[in-house]
Amino acid sequence: MVQYNFKKITVVPTGKDFIDIILSRTQRQTPTVVHKGYAISRIRQFYMRKVKYTQQNFHDKLSTIIEEFPRLDDIHPFYGDLLHVLYNKDHYKLALGQINTARNLIGKIAKDYVKLLKYGDSLYRCKSLKVAALGRMCTVIKRVGPSLAYLEQIRQHMARLPSIDPNTRTILICGYPNVGKSSFINKITRADVDVQPYAFTTKSLFVGHTDYKYLRYQVIDTPGILDRPFEDRNIIEMCSITALAHLRASVLFFLDISGSCGYSVAQQAALFHSIKSLFMNKPLIIVCNKTDLQALEGISEDDMKLVMEMKAEAMKTLIGQGGEPTNDEGVLLTMSTLTEEGVIAVKNAACERLLDQRVELKMKSKKLNDCLNRFHVAMPKPRDQKERPPCIPEAVLEAKAKKAEQAAEKQKKLERDLENENGGAGVYSASLRKHYILANDEWKEDIMPEILDGHNVYDFVDPDILQRLEELEREEGMHQEHEADDFEMDGAELTPEEQEALAEIRKKKRLIVQQHRIKKSTAESRPTVPRKFDKDKQFTSERMGRQLSTLGLDPTLAINRARSKSRGRKRERSIDKGNQNGTDDMDVDGDQPNKKLRLRSRSLSRSRSRSKSRPPYEVLPGEGLKDSAQKKKAIKLAEKSHNKRNKDARKGEADRVIPTLRPKHLFSGKRSTGKTDRR
Amino acid sequence: MRLEKCWFCSSTVYPGHGIQFVRNDAKIFRFCRSKCHKNFKMKRNPRKVKWTKAYRRVHGKDMTQDATFEFERKRNRPERYDRHVAEETLKAIKKIDKVRVDREARHYAKRMKGKKAQVQKEAANELEQSIHMVKAPAALQKEPSLTLPKVYQKQTEDRMVE
Repeated sequence: MVQYNFKKITVVPTGKDFIDIILSRTQRQTPTVVHKGYAISRIRQFYMRKVKYTQQNFHDKLSTIIEEFPRLDDIHPFYGDLLHVLYNKDHYKLALGQINTARNLIGKIAKDYVKLLKYGDSLYRCKSLKVAALGRMCTVIKRVGPSLAYLEQIRQHMARLPSIDPNTRTILICGYPNVGKSSFINKITRADVDVQPYAFTTKSLFVGHTDYKYLRYQVIDTPGILDRPFEDRNIIEMCSITALAHLRASVLFFLDISGSCGYSVAQQAALFHSIKSLFMNKPLIIVCNKTDLQALEGISEDDMKLVMEMKAEAMKTLIGQGGEPTNDEGVLLTMSTLTEEGVIAVKNAACERLLDQRVELKMKSKKLNDCLNRFHVAMPKPRDQKERPPCIPEAVLEAKAKKAEQAAEKQKKLERDLENENGGAGVYSASLRKHYILANDEWKEDIMPEILDGHNVYDFVDPDILQRLEELEREEGMHQEHEADDFEMDGAELTPEEQEALAEIRKKKRLIVQQHRIKKSTAESRPTVPRKFDKDKQFTSERMGRQLSTLGLDPTLAINRARSKSRGRKRERSIDKGNQNGTDDMDVDGDQPNKKLRLRSRSLSRSRSRSKSRPPYEVLPGEGLKDSAQKKKAIKLAEKSHNKRNKDARKGEADRVIPTLRPKHLFSGKRSTGKTDRR
Repeated sequence: MRLEKCWFCSSTVYPGHGIQFVRNDAKIFRFCRSKCHKNFKMKRNPRKVKWTKAYRRVHGKDMTQDATFEFERKRNRPERYDRHVAEETLKAIKKIDKVRVDREARHYAKRMKGKKAQVQKEAANELEQSIHMVKAPAALQKEPSLTLPKVYQKQTEDRMVE
């Protein structure tokens, strides 16, 4: 457990509150809705969860209680005894034990009921099982209610116990009631203990802190102790007895020599002798208080005797510690808290004695011994009181003096001075290379390049770079020799004419590919015009002839054949008029189209002979043309403008079609911004 | 001041060029120009991008392991300055460079060794197979050499000349 901090224990709720808390938490944190129509496993799971959850919560809370309350055997015996004195060890243990049993019981209940719930066959049955389980758990807690209340009381009291560190430097003040202990502690520390004329004003231990020689001391004020047999002592006295018994402290036994506390010196001496066994191994100081009412010298003989006896006892403790027997000033002191004389002396004496004792103890302990054993300071014992200062010869003294002078003169030249000399901060830049430690001081100002030919020079720096370079060059030499050996055989090379032919071939292939690509790309956007409407005059027989001759053939036969087969406009008509019966040898295309044309022209020319037809270039009166020559020209111009376009299968004037004359989206609708008078 | 290598294309990044990207796991990626940076942001693998050194090394186009590469290694321990060592280093760098370049050339030559013969073979093949595109089979029969035919001139001209 924590040494002296009982303030962190969580609040122990009462039985009723406890039940309320847990049950409401169960209701909030677990699902609440279940219907009898659900699957039975789901219903069971629902109720089992509730039971388990409740049990878990109880378990957690009870465990925290059990763990947070200190176990009397585990803490410092001072606190163990103190708690025993205050709360009765047995009662305390019993209460905690009951809590523990309650926890186990609840666990068992939950286990049993969960087992039963596994076989619940209806919602009602599961529900009643859960109700029973929770009910039983709550009964357990109700039964344990008084223990919980008791523990809560203890907790509250424990939180208010003074935080006394049993291991640090402590000064303990004890004595009869009303002798001035609390006023003393009020004087030397910042504690504010009640001081009243009636006895047992101080009912428990109070702690104050004071400083001495840069160390902090705890000062503990105890309630007054009466001279009674041990068994008759009440709780309050037992507190102080416990403190006396367990704390390693220096004890200040307060004595009221004026008797204004209501008890005589004899009674106080009697008390002293009865509890002197508790002063074993503790530096004891007897303090005579209230000297403003009665000085120490002025007390009666008997009282003086008693005081001296006490002093002797105190001295015994002093000698027992191994302190010097000659010093008896720190044993019996007088002071008056009212007039504040002697208060500081008492405090100092107490602190000093305690410090000595602690140091002694530490010296005797093992750790210090190890250190001390390693060295030994030998100090010569002075045989007489004659002074023997060190003897330094004159010359040395002079030299020292001179050196001191020189040093004072020639102060080290700082960088700052150098900077100021050479023009100040912005002008002079300190040369950091001055202090470089190099093999040769001439190299201090060398500039080494960092980059060379696209390489970092620092990456190449290597102590054995030369050696490796040598190896490399040797290797290179070997490689070069081998290289000279193999060379390539030239295969059969093509003659220049063959190369020419190859170039031609490649050119042709490229052209074909190119043209195909053009055709492919335009095929999607433009209609493909059949070859007979060849407007660029690509496919002429002359061209064919040229191509064939470049291939090395005689083209004349082919040209003649092509020419005879082709259908010029004029040739068609001449054939028509000439050959009405059969076909010519040259007619490749067959009879029918010719026949059609023949029939048509015949019908046209015969049926509507002269009545309707007109010579083509005859100028009619209303047309606006001068003569037939002009008309011919006009017709020719018109034809020229549309023939090429038609043969390209492009859209012409007559092809303009407006699919919808007044599309709705252009003639209706509102605009988000602007007027609609422009459509 | 150091010359770094671009993470993507492995070219040197001179001071004042490029961008450095520091990832959340403190790995630093340096790029020589925005081309590499953008490729990186597109999550392209440099080993698959043809023009990077990584690709070339992986696919055997450039030499990967060589003694000349061992000379240039980032050493994190600074050496005390020594003028002689510095001189030697500077001279050595030049020699090492030369050796490396020679070796790279040799590597390239080895790689391209059979190329000429193969190219010639292919050309011969192509010529033989596609000669019909420039020389009609009739002309080829008359004159079986794989060369351009004589362009046919009209007989009448000859006769007229005669």
